[in-house]
Amino acid sequence: MDAIETLPIQQLDAFKGVKKVPLEEYFTSGHRTCQGCESALVMKLMVKAAGPRTIVLGSTGCMYVANTTYYSTSWVVPWMHTQLGSSGSAGLGTAAALKALMRKGKMKEEPINVIAFCGDGGGADMGLSAISATLTHPQYNVLILLYDNESYANTDIQLSGMTPYGAHTTFSPPGKAKRLMHTRWKKNMAGMLAAGHPETKYVGTVCASYAVDMMNRVRKALMIGGPTFVHSLDPCPKGWDYDPMLSHELGELAVETGIWPLYEVENRVLKLYGRSKGIAEKRSKRKPVRDYLLRQGRFAHFTDDDIDYFQAKIDDMWEKWLIPGVIPFWKELEKDQPPA
Amino acid sequence: MGRLFAVEIVYRGIFQKNLAKNISRGIALAAKHDGKVGISFGRYGDSPERNGIPAKNFAIVATDDETLQEGMAKYEPKEVDISISVDDTLCKGVESWAWYGLQPINRLLKPGGTLIVTTMHGADPIITMCHRKEFPYRLALLTSIPSFSGLWVYKDDHTDVRLLGAIAKVLPDLFSLTSVEKAIREEWHDELKVKSAQKAYERISTRVVSPAEGNPEKPYEFELPKWYELREGLAIPSIPAGKAMADPTTQQTGGFRPDRNPTFKKYATRTMRPVVDFDTCVKCTLCWLQCPDSCFDVTPDAYYDANMEACCGCGVCEAVCPVTNCITMVNETAFADNASQWEMWKKDKAGYQTWLQEKIQHKPERSHGFRIRGQYEQQIGTMVKDGIVDTGTSGAGG
Repeated sequence: MDAIETLPIQQLDAFKGVKKVPLEEYFTSGHRTCQGCESALVMKLMVKAAGPRTIVLGSTGCMYVANTTYYSTSWVVPWMHTQLGSSGSAGLGTAAALKALMRKGKMKEEPINVIAFCGDGGGADMGLSAISATLTHPQYNVLILLYDNESYANTDIQLSGMTPYGAHTTFSPPGKAKRLMHTRWKKNMAGMLAAGHPETKYVGTVCASYAVDMMNRVRKALMIGGPTFVHSLDPCPKGWDYDPMLSHELGELAVETGIWPLYEVENRVLKLYGRSKGIAEKRSKRKPVRDYLLRQGRFAHFTDDDIDYFQAKIDDMWEKWLIPGVIPFWKELEKDQPPA
Repeated sequence: MGRLFAVEIVYRGIFQKNLAKNISRGIALAAKHDGKVGISFGRYGDSPERNGIPAKNFAIVATDDETLQEGMAKYEPKEVDISISVDDTLCKGVESWAWYGLQPINRLLKPGGTLIVTTMHGADPIITMCHRKEFPYRLALLTSIPSFSGLWVYKDDHTDVRLLGAIAKVLPDLFSLTSVEKAIREEWHDELKVKSAQKAYERISTRVVSPAEGNPEKPYEFELPKWYELREGLAIPSIPAGKAMADPTTQQTGGFRPDRNPTFKKYATRTMRPVVDFDTCVKCTLCWLQCPDSCFDVTPDAYYDANMEACCGCGVCEAVCPVTNCITMVNETAFADNASQWEMWKKDKAGYQTWLQEKIQHKPERSHGFRIRGQYEQQIGTMVKDGIVDTGTSGAGG
């Protein structure tokens, strides 16, 4: 069998510290996002890491609507809108087109990064099959970045498959008769894609509160070749209902409480990194989830029982899962006991 | 034909969405008790809202159905009897989702109409912020810390009903205080809220603002290509890459100032701004790196200067700064321009220190949304104690 041929790839070495990060911005000011929008920060850091020879494709969501209102943009690099569920297809198609144009000599052969981003609604709900399909095409270099603010935030906070247990959304207002209207648990996207696409060379989770770590994961994913996937957890002042000043701190708390594990599967090797590594190796203690939950209006209706249940589920993730924080298989059956 | 009334509520997106809805709904309900018909609606173009970005609600009231229908046949009112600004920093001008450029807060006011502002300031600083109008209008101040909360947890500090009481005073033709009281009992079943409305009715004061008073600047505006004038493929030009900056004292060039979206500046979103003490800055880069709006210019001497044309005042820079009191968020009402702080510091370091010490006295008394469960109850308790709100539960406030 012939070796898989991919286009040449840019050399994007890891930034060795915050002082080595380039000053240039490729996603700049003047977008209509919320104050303290962590997803806008993810866009900025993502293209800062990728550099100027990058094409960005964006499926519908906040990062499309707010960043490119009529005849107006904040992008310095070329950017194109694609439909809500098609970040995977658009990314793959663009990478394939570049390859064909270069093969036919219609375009100078040079390494160009292709990044397709999607929100949790566009990526984890609607676009899941297209992302999955893209990850099975090893001959195209494309990064799919999922910015996860845990709801359909653009259209005013409808719940998505990524909305955490019990959270208040437009579709799940807490009531007097029924306190918790949303009792489904968040999908494990990165774990699912890593486990389900064994030939994919890079799947990672990131959080922009750890900016250099995050940019270096984007660089790895772009440099390793073939289709890759990065999942970012983005605190959202609008939908999570908190003071925008807390965006950075809530990202840190999500990691420190163990709710958001930071890991990467690089050439099939799993590594936890940052605070999550310490947590997995039991070198650092997880903060109580209460510290994270009670800072957000979307959990303001939680009783102590609800908080305890949330805590127990996170404890399970680190203590009972076959691969803690990553793969939710259990070694033996135990009964789930949600609060009354 | 009967008489048509229009009221607009200009508010901070998301933070005051529920507040604005309560006010415009309350207007329609009070008008009903006054024998009129009314409707309340949000401005379509302002949706989806974003935290802090200005948005509008309208209440249209008429003496009869036919007049109301005629009023509703318009997309939105072209002129209003009352404009309500539920945050005083909106008086600097409004740049919303729905249009390009800055619009004066008093733009839709009819001759003799009233602008009601919730503020802790007196009339003079508010008038200085408002753009000049060609004819006289009235200004009414409701003493209040601008009420900010989020989508899910409402900060019930009675701003909604206090404004209803104020409207009954400044425009008695619209509805009476008695009608407001009936509407509050019907909608909220809360006697304390009734009392708050009565107190606001008694205390609201108005003054006339003449055409010679106010901000003389012309608000910025843009002429954009029409949809049929767009390039092939509906492509629009991207933002240029940005360039190095020049030092105003040494003429040295270096650092980096990104080019920015020219047609949306975002600073009308700001309710507070960062003030940077360059003398204590350790150049850690965090404010610059963590800013979601890329608002920091990197100076030739490697400081980070928050560009006030781009900063929307989220406060993340203050939160991530590792040096105590190096970055302080200051109430936007304390500033008259968007000048560069770094240039001011370069030109006169001692003078800058004096300026900075004066400015950071204006730390926001406002709150920027939900921080921890139980916080709103505590804040309202403090406001009652300080006599800012009198819900009738304490003797304070008079």
